[in-house]
Amino acid sequence: MSTGSVEVIYRGIYQKTLAKNICRGVVFAARKEGKIGIAFGRYSDSPERNGIPAKQFAVVADEQEELEEYLSRYEPDNNDVTIACDDTLCKGVESWAWYGLQPINKLLGENGTLLVTSTQSPNKLINFIHRKASPYDLALVRSEASFSGLWVYKDDHTDVRLLGALAKVAPHMFSIDSMLAAIKEQFKDDLKVTSAKKSYDDTEAQPVSTEQGNEEVPYSFELPGWKEMEEGIVIRGMDMSKGGTGKDGSYVPVRNEVFKKFSTRTMRPVINFETCTKCTLCWLNCPDTCFDVTADGLYDANMEACCGCGVCEAVCPVKECVTMVNEEAFDDNDSQWAMWTKDKDGYGKWLAEKIANQPARSHGFHHIGQYEEDIANDSA
Amino acid sequence: MSETTVEGFGEFVETQVLDAWKGPKKVPHEEFFTSGHRTCQGCESAQLMKLMAKAAGPRTIILGATGCMYVANTTYYSTPWAVPWMHTQLGSAGSAATGTAAGLKALMRKGKMKDEPINVISFCGDGGGADMGLSAISAALQHTEYNHLILMYDNESYANTDIQVSGSSPYGAHTTFSAPGKVQRIMNRRWKKNTAAMLAAGHPDCKYVATVCTSNPVDAMNHVRKALSIGGPTFIHSLDPCPKGWDYDPRYSHELGELAIETGIWPLYEVVEGELKMHGKSRRILRGQLKRKPVEEYLMRQGRFAHFVQEDIDYFQGKIDQMWEEWLIPGVIPFSAGEES
Repeated sequence: MSTGSVEVIYRGIYQKTLAKNICRGVVFAARKEGKIGIAFGRYSDSPERNGIPAKQFAVVADEQEELEEYLSRYEPDNNDVTIACDDTLCKGVESWAWYGLQPINKLLGENGTLLVTSTQSPNKLINFIHRKASPYDLALVRSEASFSGLWVYKDDHTDVRLLGALAKVAPHMFSIDSMLAAIKEQFKDDLKVTSAKKSYDDTEAQPVSTEQGNEEVPYSFELPGWKEMEEGIVIRGMDMSKGGTGKDGSYVPVRNEVFKKFSTRTMRPVINFETCTKCTLCWLNCPDTCFDVTADGLYDANMEACCGCGVCEAVCPVKECVTMVNEEAFDDNDSQWAMWTKDKDGYGKWLAEKIANQPARSHGFHHIGQYEEDIANDSA
Repeated sequence: MSETTVEGFGEFVETQVLDAWKGPKKVPHEEFFTSGHRTCQGCESAQLMKLMAKAAGPRTIILGATGCMYVANTTYYSTPWAVPWMHTQLGSAGSAATGTAAGLKALMRKGKMKDEPINVISFCGDGGGADMGLSAISAALQHTEYNHLILMYDNESYANTDIQVSGSSPYGAHTTFSAPGKVQRIMNRRWKKNTAAMLAAGHPDCKYVATVCTSNPVDAMNHVRKALSIGGPTFIHSLDPCPKGWDYDPRYSHELGELAIETGIWPLYEVVEGELKMHGKSRRILRGQLKRKPVEEYLMRQGRFAHFVQEDIDYFQGKIDQMWEEWLIPGVIPFSAGEES
């Protein structure tokens, strides 16, 4: 059977064009072999928001009926390949309220392949990825996550490199020759064809057993059915009594319990409490209200609420106080302030190590022409 | 408590008296719009919602017209609001504000609820306010017997539905309706609608109209507090940098707001009972104490202007120069006195 489906999980807006290019590539490659295909985004991701995990799917089939069977499902499961366009998605995805934290491999079929763009070692990623009841393969495309904006696409060949790798791990869906022909036709760029072929040659998958991976059970919610909803679909406001000022003068706001937003994060702020001048600006300028006010008047970024926008780092007037660090460097969402109060020297070492020893990371363009400058600097 | 009467309209219901906060350290901790909204990273409109709710305090009803701040903030049967909030249709921020304020007044008069000043804030985006809801806002600003604030968060496009051009989109900006092409580079040739000044000039009985920017949170909050205290219908227009539609790294949300002010693109002013006052850096620009930065610094930070060539930047700069050098009231009233007058 040569029918199959590909799930593309990506960062909203930053990778929207990338995901579209991948899904289109799948359909056009299938067409080269006389098959039919369709690509579609998940309706409920729309409107997409910067960074929030989103999905597109591409389905390939021999017959119209098979195709429609996939389309009748809200999210096709049992996918042959799941592509994670950014390795920090391996920690799990929460796309909207009540969704919970969905493991990256949840909709991957038995013995399917999880294809990830990453510069990390496979073992490091496996430690992030939640355990799965059935075995699957993991394949990496060696690349930093390709982020760009809605209007300015950063054409660094990540799209065709993923398509080349896809032909390797899912040969039953299309051959590499069909894929290269489709890429040539779509992009009219021989260099892109070469990139895809090289990626095809380089890609190796490794098996992941049911014993490997993150043992943590991801949080989930029971979505209230229509019978439990109130007249006029009233949504109860936040219960202020669940948060507020503590006896010690600290303040922790009540937060939305069913949407935490941290799976949006690709960088997290780490805070040097020793240099903090308590100026309030990080707390006051945070659009996600993620700073808890501590009893000693410091500001502790709550790592379940922080989506990693980096505004706190930008507004902080102290040179070395708030630093954004690649999310890959962290295994938990624990309070930095609690860590600091327990062991100040230990925290200082931890902080220095986190800041110094991480691959750089950005949300995409900082200014127009930066990508060209980066390439020029790299080749210099 | 302020209390005013207007002949033929009876007494105003009292307003809350909300004094200005003097500096960021005086701002209370309490949050009424908190974490868990499905907005973009670095969303300045969400930041504005947080500031607005904080400035207004617990005894407040908030109404929101369709837009990002409706859709993202009530994501599937959950909400980050801690004060009562209600959705209203895209063009009806004005009607909802008047209706709610009138309803409260009637219930209090009939003794059906405790007589107390309750803030009513109705927000809308630039699509809901500057385009579709303009007539309803105009009507609301004429019904001077009701106390409420209409707050327009302006991210310069229909951002919620993935960035279509609005009357508030700047000249030449790339949107889904104005994508630059090979033949035509500039597809949005309209100049941004001057909404706050239009409403201030057109509604002389409205006691308070202001422009703010979230890049100065305390200033933005104090204008909300002033608008709620002064009585009658009031209007605030806020410029909110939008990382998604303007296409920049979300960490620069704050900086882009500042740049909009410093380049003179976004003048900060308030019209209080018929008297115009510039504030913040805009006042210093007006007085010649601060030199305007070139608009290029602002434009070239954003992907939506990536297709601009020097000619376009010069045109934009020329329009901004005109706004400060030739307008009857710099930054506010966009015409000069004709020769005959």
